[in-house]
Amino acid sequence: MAAKIYDVVVVGSGAGGGTLSAHLARAGVDVAVVEGGPKVNTRTDFNTHAMPFEFPDRHIPTMKAGKPGYDSERTRGVGGKTMLWNAVAWRQSERDFKGKTFEGAGEDWPVGYKDMAPYYDRIEREVGVCGNLDHLEDLPDGIFLPPVPMKCSDVLVQRGAAKLGLKIIHVRKSTLSRASRTRPACHFCGNCMAGCDVAAKYNSFDVHMSPALKTGHLEIFSNSIVREVVVSNENRVTGVRYLDRTSMKEGEVRGRSVVVACACVQSVALLMMSKSRLYPDGLGNSSGQLGKHFIPHMTGGVEAFLKPMIGKKLTADEGFLDHAYLPSFMHTRKRDYARSFGAQFGYQNRRSVGWARQLPGFGKDYKQSVKDRFPSYLVFSPYGEKIPDAKNFVDLDYTQKDSFGLPLARRHVFWTDNDMKIFNDMQNWSKEVLLQAGGEILSVSDEPKTNHELGGCRMGEDPKTSILNAYCQSHDVKNLFVVDGSVFPSASEKNPTHTIMALAARTAEHIAGRLKKGEM
Amino acid sequence: MADRREALRIIGAIGATCAFPFSSGELYGQHAHPPEGKQADAGKPQFFQPGEFAVISRVADLIIPATDTPGAVGAGVPAYIDMVVRGNEQHQAVFRAGLAYLSSQSDGDFLALTEVRQIAVLTALSNAVDKGDLKGPGEKFFRAVKSMSADGYYTSKVGMSVELGYHGGTVLSEYPSCEVPEH
Repeated sequence: MAAKIYDVVVVGSGAGGGTLSAHLARAGVDVAVVEGGPKVNTRTDFNTHAMPFEFPDRHIPTMKAGKPGYDSERTRGVGGKTMLWNAVAWRQSERDFKGKTFEGAGEDWPVGYKDMAPYYDRIEREVGVCGNLDHLEDLPDGIFLPPVPMKCSDVLVQRGAAKLGLKIIHVRKSTLSRASRTRPACHFCGNCMAGCDVAAKYNSFDVHMSPALKTGHLEIFSNSIVREVVVSNENRVTGVRYLDRTSMKEGEVRGRSVVVACACVQSVALLMMSKSRLYPDGLGNSSGQLGKHFIPHMTGGVEAFLKPMIGKKLTADEGFLDHAYLPSFMHTRKRDYARSFGAQFGYQNRRSVGWARQLPGFGKDYKQSVKDRFPSYLVFSPYGEKIPDAKNFVDLDYTQKDSFGLPLARRHVFWTDNDMKIFNDMQNWSKEVLLQAGGEILSVSDEPKTNHELGGCRMGEDPKTSILNAYCQSHDVKNLFVVDGSVFPSASEKNPTHTIMALAARTAEHIAGRLKKGEM
Repeated sequence: MADRREALRIIGAIGATCAFPFSSGELYGQHAHPPEGKQADAGKPQFFQPGEFAVISRVADLIIPATDTPGAVGAGVPAYIDMVVRGNEQHQAVFRAGLAYLSSQSDGDFLALTEVRQIAVLTALSNAVDKGDLKGPGEKFFRAVKSMSADGYYTSKVGMSVELGYHGGTVLSEYPSCEVPEH
């Protein structure tokens, strides 16, 4: 078996690798997925319904006792981060793809909305995305299952926002609001990010890869941490070398092409570690652009209590975490910065009670105050777009190795003037919306945090300023592809996974077509 | 202080994941790393001496007293505090200094004070902490012991399920629409 040469070797099994490998297998292409983590059973392996007091430190571990998996960067599991994501699914708009053309800031993608729309359609039909048709210019509608009703807290926020002329919409999520043939509808237990034990929420293993295994064209090498993509002297990748996660033995999987899809920073790191005579600075990095233009989302946050809900009876309203969304609106308004932000809110889980210590006083009144505010606690989190900039980058620190002997990836994040203007503005708008909604503000974060890692291996028309072309194909090495958040030339403010999946579907179609024509 | 916008930041090896952007999302106990086990009991006190443990227990029970539901002691909070403090030298210094402060305010025996006097000592500290004054050892101690009491209490079965009435995610066949009257 060791001699088998697959059509495509895919590194990573999350939103990018999982979607792409299933699409390829269904098209009759022989695929090997090489994943650093173990196989995970969503039904039995996660602490989905645990309570904090079941553990001495009151921290609910992701995995059940004795189950390996989501404990560090290089050892997650089959399904990648889709196992623990919140499933928010937005289509990017033409403005997001062509930010430089629209505003002179950011970077244009080599694809536009028209190129991507058919693939968004396909993903929505396959996985089931619930949402409402809102007819917004900056947030294209799609093919949706019925939206889930808003929470009472959302209705309050919606009324407050309306006073400011802002529209609050139903969230759109890759979570079933109606049962499909193979998956039940969401049961609103509020534990989405602890691993959905019924797969009502999309994960790439249960929804994409597991059915694709039946084609006989998909093979999964779990517990196999890829440390190098191998390139021949003829400038073609020939497969990957990996370390077995438990035995630490070296192994190799060979293929006619390789797709790197092991999450933004790790994909960049893998290409950097894949040094060769042809590519001494990292595979496919003749431009020197690898790792550059790292553009994670910038988040702020306000915690508040909604006064109309203080002292009210606790209801089972955790739902599937956030049920509503404040879409970006600043592109229609006068402002002194480029790009925009949107906001998620109400995605706190009731198990998180760390806010209680922030209330003033002590004694009986304090205790009553916590109890009264428990049903009314709300987290409001705006997400802003970071403009790509050469000062924001990822590199490797060879002086620090992880337990597998691999160098640690470092993120260098630098808040630019534009970033801070967006941050301050989105914090102010968040506070204002909450005040209008009857919010008693508890805390306001005073500096941006990062989330949704993007960029570092960007697509582009010009091989001098980008790593990949419009099909996520390396400019340098024609049978090498990358499909995950690292390929984003600009970030938008929208949660990226839906776009990663649409890119994976598009790339899979491209690879299958080229294989058919004998071009690999 | 360097201009924040001009500061180069190295975030380090472990990246951002979907998490709450607040300290509120974290608990003191999360950083305590006790031995694995599936019991809620944080064990017998290992850091505090019996006399100190009695004072900590009293302070915790004044912060979250028994009402129609049990208070901090009834929820096992003092043992949780011991577990958090035993593995962290900074916490240990804060608690040692805090216990010495309480002693200095009570002729050497905080427990011998009347409840009214005990509350008065803590009220002075609590008022200062609520105003953001964390200069003195008493204030630093009060903030730590209150934070740990709140964390420990509201993540205990008593605090979370009996006091707050939260029993964990409820399975619903359909999510109910909200009927909030317009004022």
